[in-house]
Amino acid sequence: MTAEPGGLGVGASPRRKEDARFLHGRGRFVADITRPGMLEVAFLRSPIAHARLLAVTKPAGQEKRVFTIADLDGIGTIRANSALPGFRVSEQPALAKDKVRHVGEAIAACVAESRAAAEDLAAICVLDYEALPAVSDMRTACSPTAPLLHESWSMNAFLETRRDDDVSGLDAIAAAKVTRTLRTSRQCMAPIEGRGVLAEWDPRLEQMIVTTSTQMPHVTKSGLADCLGLDEGQVRIVSPDVGGGFGYKGILLPEEIVCASLAIRLGRPVRWLEDRFEQLTAANCREHHYVITAWADRAGKLLGVECDAIVDAGAYSSYPFGACLEAAQIGSILPGPYILPLLRCHTVSACTNKPPILPYRGVARTGVCYAMETTLDALARQLGIMPQAIRLANLVPATAMPYRNLVGKVFDSGDYPESLRRAVAAIDVDKIRARQAAGETVGFGLATFCEQGAHGTSVYHAWGIPFVPGFEQAYARLAPDGVLELRVGVHSHGQGLETTLAQVAHEILGIHPDQVRVVHGDTALTPYSTGTWGSRAMVMAGGAVAEACRQLAERVAAIGAALMQVSGADVRVADGKVQRTDTDGFVTIADVARTWYRTPQNLPPGVNKGGLEVTAGYRPDPDTGTHSYACHAVVARVDTETGAVVLEDYVVVEDGGKLVNPMIVDGQVMGGLAQGIGTALYEEMPYDTEGQPLAATLADYLLPGTTDVPDVRLDHMETLSPWTTFGQKGIGESGAIGPPAAIVNAINDALAGLGAEVMDLPASPSRVLAAIQAARAVKA
Amino acid sequence: MKPAVFSYARPKSWSDAVKLVASGARAGAGTQSLGPLLNLRLAQPDMIADLRHLPDYAGVVVSGGVLRIGAGTTHAAIEDGAVPGRTGEIMAGVARRIAYRPVRNRGTIGGSLAHADPAADWVAVLPALGGTAIALGLRGERRVPLAGFVTGIFETALASDELLRAVEVPTLPAGVRWGHWKFCRKVGEFSKVTACVLSVPGTAPRAVLAALDRPPLVIEDASALLDDTEAEAARIVSAFPELGEWRRAVAQTALRKAVAAVKQP
Amino acid sequence: MSRISISLTVNGERTEVETEPREHLADLLRGRLMLTGTHVGCEHGVCGACTVEIDGVPARSCITYAGSCDGASVRTIEGFGDDTVMAALREAFMQEHALQCGYCTPGMLVAARDIVLRLPEADEARVREELAGNLCRCTGYRGIVRAVLGVLAARRPRSGHV
Ligand SMILES: Cc1cc2nc3c(=O)[nH]c(=O)nc-3n(C[C@H](O)[C@H](O)[C@H](O)COP(=O)(O)OP(=O)(O)OC[C@H]3O[C@@H](n4cnc5c(N)ncnc54)[C@H](O)[C@@H]3O)c2cc1C
Ligand code: FES
Ligand code: FES
Repeated sequence: MTAEPGGLGVGASPRRKEDARFLHGRGRFVADITRPGMLEVAFLRSPIAHARLLAVTKPAGQEKRVFTIADLDGIGTIRANSALPGFRVSEQPALAKDKVRHVGEAIAACVAESRAAAEDLAAICVLDYEALPAVSDMRTACSPTAPLLHESWSMNAFLETRRDDDVSGLDAIAAAKVTRTLRTSRQCMAPIEGRGVLAEWDPRLEQMIVTTSTQMPHVTKSGLADCLGLDEGQVRIVSPDVGGGFGYKGILLPEEIVCASLAIRLGRPVRWLEDRFEQLTAANCREHHYVITAWADRAGKLLGVECDAIVDAGAYSSYPFGACLEAAQIGSILPGPYILPLLRCHTVSACTNKPPILPYRGVARTGVCYAMETTLDALARQLGIMPQAIRLANLVPATAMPYRNLVGKVFDSGDYPESLRRAVAAIDVDKIRARQAAGETVGFGLATFCEQGAHGTSVYHAWGIPFVPGFEQAYARLAPDGVLELRVGVHSHGQGLETTLAQVAHEILGIHPDQVRVVHGDTALTPYSTGTWGSRAMVMAGGAVAEACRQLAERVAAIGAALMQVSGADVRVADGKVQRTDTDGFVTIADVARTWYRTPQNLPPGVNKGGLEVTAGYRPDPDTGTHSYACHAVVARVDTETGAVVLEDYVVVEDGGKLVNPMIVDGQVMGGLAQGIGTALYEEMPYDTEGQPLAATLADYLLPGTTDVPDVRLDHMETLSPWTTFGQKGIGESGAIGPPAAIVNAINDALAGLGAEVMDLPASPSRVLAAIQAARAVKA
Repeated sequence: MKPAVFSYARPKSWSDAVKLVASGARAGAGTQSLGPLLNLRLAQPDMIADLRHLPDYAGVVVSGGVLRIGAGTTHAAIEDGAVPGRTGEIMAGVARRIAYRPVRNRGTIGGSLAHADPAADWVAVLPALGGTAIALGLRGERRVPLAGFVTGIFETALASDELLRAVEVPTLPAGVRWGHWKFCRKVGEFSKVTACVLSVPGTAPRAVLAALDRPPLVIEDASALLDDTEAEAARIVSAFPELGEWRRAVAQTALRKAVAAVKQP
Repeated sequence: MSRISISLTVNGERTEVETEPREHLADLLRGRLMLTGTHVGCEHGVCGACTVEIDGVPARSCITYAGSCDGASVRTIEGFGDDTVMAALREAFMQEHALQCGYCTPGMLVAARDIVLRLPEADEARVREELAGNLCRCTGYRGIVRAVLGVLAARRPRSGHV
C-alpha cells in the first residue's frame, strides 16, 4: 500500500493490503494446508430424505477405517436452542443415529490416505434402512397426518410466532386492498470455496487444533468444546483465508466434530474437504411462503398489513443461529422503512426433510422485502398511482429520526425519502412510459428497505440463542520496531478488514497502514468475539480498534511527553508522532516503542505498567443496531416469447453512514447485488416430493456470471449514525436484499399492460412466460 | 468427488485404439464431458484410451467439395477458423457459443458428437449441415449419415468397438443462408432448445429442432416451414407434448427465429 | 495398472511425478507439486477456479487427468513471474477492487490474460461473454470487467492510456 492521493485513514480508498497474496496464488485456504501423516475423510451420506437407519455394513477388512456414530461414543449432539417461547429444539447428531432426516446427512466417516481412496471405501459400505415418507412441502409439514421428523414433537414446526393487531376494521375504511401469495425459492449460498476442516491433536498442549473455513472461530470453539467434552482451553480454532462465507460458514459443523473426534482416536491429523456436490446438499436458505394482505387509503398511505408466512427450516436447528432466525424475524422486518400503523403476522418455522437452513446474506430481509415491496406495487397499481408515490407516502421522514416503529425497531438516522427521490431521478421514467405506450414490454421497479446491522446484546438476549453478542474487543500492541499489531476476533473473508482496520488505526495514531498488521482467524491469538455476521464487523471491530488505539495513544503520549520533558497536556498524537502543541518538536511513536522495550531506564516514573499493549472493548450505545438503507431502481425488459428478462439499467442509492473505505463498500454492495440477482432470476434448489434435491452441479444450480450482472450505477448518501465511532453503519448485506423486489417489480410493471404478474422466485423464463400465458387465458 | 480407479492407455495408432475400445476401454478425447461424469462417479470405466495422440486426430482436410474434420479438432480451433469457407464461418459462429474458451480449448467435435448429449451444439448443428460421420471399428471404416448418427439420449450409431474418426461436411457455397437460434439462460450453458435452418440455393431447405431431451428432429425438406412459418412451427412443436408449455413455446420461437435469420435480406 | 509415472513441465521446470491415472491435474498440482494457487471450486468444469494454462492455452485442470498431461507444459498462477500482461492485470485488479476473498482470482487471471492476448479489440460485452466461465461469488464482477477492459485499453497503440 502506497500513499494515495485520497489519504489512508477513515473515508479513504487505499488499495487492499490482502490483494497481493491472492493475486499471486499465495492465499492459504484450508485445502492448501497439509500435515505429515494426514488422513483424508469422505462421508457416506444419506441417499434418502427420511428413513430409519437399520445398519451400516462396513467393507470387510476395512472396518477400522469406517466410523459410525456408534464408534464415536461420548460426542455430544448439536443443540441450538432459543429462548423464544414454544421453540422446539432438535438433537442433531454429528453422524446419523437411528434415523436420517435429509439427503446428504452424514452417516459414516471413511478415512484413507487420499480422498479418492476414502470415497472408494464409502462406495462399498452397505446401508440398510427402512424408508419413511418424506416431508417435502412446508405448507403441509404441520398437518396432523404428516410423519414426524423428530418423534417426540407434536408437530413439524420449530416455532410459531404471532402478532395480533386488530385489522378487522380496515376493509371498511381502505381505498385499496390487495392480497398476494408469494414464494421465494430454496437457495444455496454457494461460496466458490467449500467448507474444509483439518483437525489435529497437539499432545504437548493437550489441545485440539481445528483449522476450518469459518466466519466465527470463537463460537465454533465453544460449540466444539461442548460437543467433544473438552474444556475451552483445549480447543483452538484457526480460520485461515476463507473463500467466501455469506452465512454458509457461520455454523458449527457436524463434520468439525467428527474430524476432531477422529483425530483424537486415530492419533493422526484428519482432513475433510467439502466438494460441490456435498455443498449443494449440505445446507440451504431462504425458502419463504407468504400470504400477505395490505390496506391503503386513497393517497397510498398504509393502514395495515396482515401476513401469514412459512419458512422451510429443514430438518435441524443449526448452531448457533437456530432454525427460526428467518421466520421469527418476519414480523419485525415487515414494516421495513415505512410507517405502519397495524400489523397482524403469523409465522411458522417448518421442519422438513431437507438440509437445515442457515442465515444467508440478507437474512430474512431479502424475502420480507420481496413480499412487502411487491405488495406495495400491487397496491399502487390498484390505486393508479406511481410506485414512488406510494413509497413516499409511507417512508419514515428524516425529521422523525431517530424513529421507533410499531415493532420497536429504532432507526438511527437517514433521509429515506431522499434515497428514493435520487434513485427515481436517475431513471428516465417518462421514457419508459413512452416505450410501454409503444408496445414494448419494458418496466421499471423500485425497492426501498433498511438493513439493521451490528445489533447487539439488547436485541439478541431476547432470542436466547447459544450466544449473545456483548462488548467487542480488539487488542493493539506497539512492537519494539514501532509496527502496530492489531488482533480481532471477527474474521475477514473478502470484506478487506486487514485494510479497513489498519485505516482505523491510521486515523487515530497516524501510523502508516503498511506498518499495521491485522491478525484474525485464530482463537489462540485474538480476543473472543462472536465473529463476522449480521453486518457487524466494521461497526464493532472498527469501534473496538479505534478504542484500543485511543488508549494506546494516551500511553504513547505520556511517554513521548516525558521524553521531550513537557507535560502530557502539551502533546498530541498524530501522523505517527507525539507532537508538541507549542513547538515543532516531536518524538516518533517508534521512538516511544523503542524506549519501552529497549531503554526502559528512560521511562518516566509512574508510567502505565500496562505498557504498549491494550485490549479495549466497545459496544455502541444504544446497541439496537445501525440502519443503513437503500433504494434500488431497475429497468427490465421482458421477452414475451421466451419469458427471458434483461436488466437494462440498475441504480442503487445507498446510505451506509460514514464509509470507512468507499471502494470496499462499493464492492460489498456490488457483490451482494449479484447474489440478489441470483435470487431474483436464477437460483433455485428444487426438491421433489421424496425430498430429493434436483440440482447436483453448478450446471443445474445457476449462479450469476459476468453477463448476468449489469454494471450498476451506485450513488451514496453519507448520513452518519449518531451511535457509532465514526458514524459508520453495517452495509455488508444490503446489496443482496433489494434485487428480487426491485427486479420483479420492474417485470410486473412491464407486464402490467398484459395483466400479468409474477409471484414466485426466481422469475425464471418459464415462470414469467407462464404468468403471461395465464393472463392471456383470463382475457380470452 | 474423485473418480473411481481407472487405468490409462495412450494408443499411437487407430488400430490399437480400436482394439482397446473393443476390449472395453472408454475413449477419452478432451474429457470435457467425460470428466464431470468421472468426478461424480457416474462413469466408472476400467480404462481410458486417450485418443489425443492418434495420427490425423485433429485437423481439417478439403477434397472434392467435402471437408473432412478430424474427430479431435477442438471447438476452439473451429472457432478460430480451422474450417475454411462458408461452412467454416457457420461452424465458427456455433463453436464460439459452446461452453467457455478453456473448455473449448480441449473439448472436441468428435467427443461432443460421440457423447450425444441431446443439448450439445454439434449434435444439433451437424445434421443441419448434412454430411457423414466416419466410424472406425475392428471391421474397418463405416460411413453414417449425420442426420441419423445420434439415436437416443447419450446414444449413437457407433458400435461398441467403434470410434468416431472424423466428420465430413459439404463445402457450402457463399450464397448459403443459415439460421441458428438457441435458448440458454446463461452464456455457456447447455441449450434448452436449438433450431437450425440451412438453405442452399437450388435445394430444399433443411431444418433441425434439437436439445429436446431426445435425438434431434431433422426435417430434410423444410419448405413448408419457410412458407408458412407460424402454422408449421406450431404443428412441429405440437408433436412434443412431454416438453411442457414453456419448452414448446420456446421451441416455436426458436424455429421462427431461425427461419427469420434465413430469410433476412 | 493404477499408478503411472508421467513427466511434465510445470512453470518452466521439468518434473517427473508418480501418480494415479484418476488424479486430475488440479489435485496433482496442488497436492504433489504443492502449487496451491490453483483452486478447486466444483470439479465439473463450470466455475473456472481451477483454470490453468496447458500447452499455452487456458484449460480446466479439474477435468484434465494425469495421464493426458504426460509430456504437457503447464503454467499456473505461480508461474507468471515476469509476464507483463499478468503484471498489468494484477495491478488493474488491485486498482479496480476486482477481488474480495481471492478464491476465484487465480483462475480469473489466467482466463483474463488469454482474453487480453487473443482478443485485443474486445469491448465490454465481449469481455463479459468471454469471462462467463469464471464464477465469482463475491465481487459482482464489476471490478473484474473494468480491470480487464483497462488493460486492453492500455495496450492499444492509439489509446490515450500509458
Ligand atoms: C462447463 C461446461 C459447459 C459445456 N457447455 C457446452 C455447450 O454449451 N454446448 C456443447 O455442445 N457442449 C458443452 N460442453 C461439452 C463440451 O463441448 C465437450 O467438449 C464435449 O461435449 C465433449 O468433447 P470431449 O472431446 O471433451 O469428449 P470426452 O469428454 O473426452 O468424451 C465424451 C464421450 O465421447 C466418447 N468419445 C470421445 N471421443 C470419441 C471418439 N472419437 N469416438 C468415440 N467415442 C468418443 C467418450 O468415450 C465419452 O463417452 C460443456 C462442457 C463443460 C465442462
Ligand atoms: S473446479 Fe474446475 S471448473 Fe470448477
Ligand atoms: S473474490 Fe471471492 S469468489 Fe471471487
